[in-house]
Amino acid sequence: MNRRVSGPGALLALYGFLVVYAALSLMPFAWMLITSFKEQAALFQLPPSFRPSLLFTDTPMANYSVIWNERNFVTFFRNSAFVSFMAAIGQVFTCALAGYAFARLPLPGKNVIFAIILATAFVPTEVTIIPEFLLMRGFGWLDTFLPLIVPSFLVGAFGTFMLREYFASLPHDYAEAARMDGAREFRIFWRIYLPLAQPALISVFVIAFINNWDELLRPLLYLTSPDLYTVPLGLLSFVSQYEAAWGQLMAGSVISTLPLIIIYVLTQRYVLAGFSGGGVKG
Amino acid sequence: MTPAWRRYAPALIFLLPALVGLAVFRLVPILWSFVLSFYDWQIFDQPSFTGLDNYIHILTSPVSGQVLRNTAVFALIYVPGSIALSLVLASVLNNALRSSAFFRSALFLPYITSTVAVTLAWKWIFSTRFGLLNNALAALGIDAAPAWLADPTYALPAVAIVSIWKDVGFYMILLLAGLQTIDPTYYEAARIDGARVVRRFFRITVPLLSRSLFFVLIIAMVRSTQTFEITYALTEGGPNRSSTTLAYFIYENAFIHFQMGYAAALAYILCFLLGLLTLVNFYFRRRWVHE
Repeated sequence: MNRRVSGPGALLALYGFLVVYAALSLMPFAWMLITSFKEQAALFQLPPSFRPSLLFTDTPMANYSVIWNERNFVTFFRNSAFVSFMAAIGQVFTCALAGYAFARLPLPGKNVIFAIILATAFVPTEVTIIPEFLLMRGFGWLDTFLPLIVPSFLVGAFGTFMLREYFASLPHDYAEAARMDGAREFRIFWRIYLPLAQPALISVFVIAFINNWDELLRPLLYLTSPDLYTVPLGLLSFVSQYEAAWGQLMAGSVISTLPLIIIYVLTQRYVLAGFSGGGVKG
Repeated sequence: MTPAWRRYAPALIFLLPALVGLAVFRLVPILWSFVLSFYDWQIFDQPSFTGLDNYIHILTSPVSGQVLRNTAVFALIYVPGSIALSLVLASVLNNALRSSAFFRSALFLPYITSTVAVTLAWKWIFSTRFGLLNNALAALGIDAAPAWLADPTYALPAVAIVSIWKDVGFYMILLLAGLQTIDPTYYEAARIDGARVVRRFFRITVPLLSRSLFFVLIIAMVRSTQTFEITYALTEGGPNRSSTTLAYFIYENAFIHFQMGYAAALAYILCFLLGLLTLVNFYFRRRWVHE
């Protein structure tokens, strides 16, 4: 921390730039929040006001209650929570097993398989999504949650990569000791190494949860019944039905953003470690 | 010696879910898409083999020409814009700020929040008459502000602005991790020699950070070709296709017009362009990346 820039002028300019950019970075969130507390008439007032006018009335949460109850966001929210949770748990399960095998278990050619998993992760979604859609259609899974859960359950190059590194970094002697006791491989994995890998497992889970919560393309392709919509899809269907109801729309946006902000704040350490360590999504 | 199958059985059982996933959702679709790209197939009809027709059509039709041009324009705004901004922000943050944890979170927040939700907030900000942006510009004395999302000239830059805003924090985190590995004594020495801020930045920071910068450059290029969510929620590719990039065009052809073969060929062109860009990057790597 002894790398200060020379001169008070330069320092001030750099600080100034940082403060201005941080404000720009947060501005859309602030505007989303303010708009969600405005009644319809206040939206189209010029110049725009920063006063969340609904807060000073008897029904401060009016936009939220309309969106949550009447526009069925409670269902979208439940759907998103279920799909993201299942997909993330599945990804942790598959990636932990695979990462452990790649790091620890004997198998000829396992490095080749690992390389193929990593290489195919760089093939853009656009290439795989068309056959994936045809597969899901063939399985009869259209308009169910399965196409949103199963691929994420079984494919996770980034998680596999991260957990392989993590398992490789743990000491080997525990396994040797347990093997002498006659413990089976799965027991060694389950009882000894999995608990030790907890920080990496949390990183993989949280990142998978966030990515699935955020997913738009798959719900758009696979879900047709509004009862199955996830939050992003619900938000967009609301836009096309109630074009100018920005107050309610922004209330819905706040609702869909809040869980991610809470998860990020609670697990910041793991998320940052995961993103700066791996850097690759998917 | 235990027989081979007993020694290798645990690894195979552990890898089973991942191998099924790899085969069903990766290898099969990658090959299937390639085969499809040589067929003319509207999903409700019989597929017919047409050889290279899809590719020839893509490379000669004016519409896909416009889409490819849009993709290039988007990348030319997004890649330099997001890298320059994240580099400057990372080096400012690295210059020993007491409250850097707050700033780091403030800049990273757009990256981890719901894309559709924040894009809709931007859509409201870009609104021509009642939007925050044009009213702010008017307050600064700029009255001839564009109609942004409704204007073919500004719709694509608007998508790029939102994409940069969203991703800058991510690149900044990656660069910050690289910056923290630079030995501070280099800066001490440079300062004793009287090198000024800008010079130190280009002569020390950039070369010593070149490995992280290379990594960020690759990711930014890949992401620049795959913008879908933001385009869909902000402009739906319009007006008049002015903000339709390749990834969005593929979606449109595959799932609105159901031209599966044509869309698969487009996807392979995207894949080919990405591969080419990556190769070019690796070719120039040794010119500027210090090991």
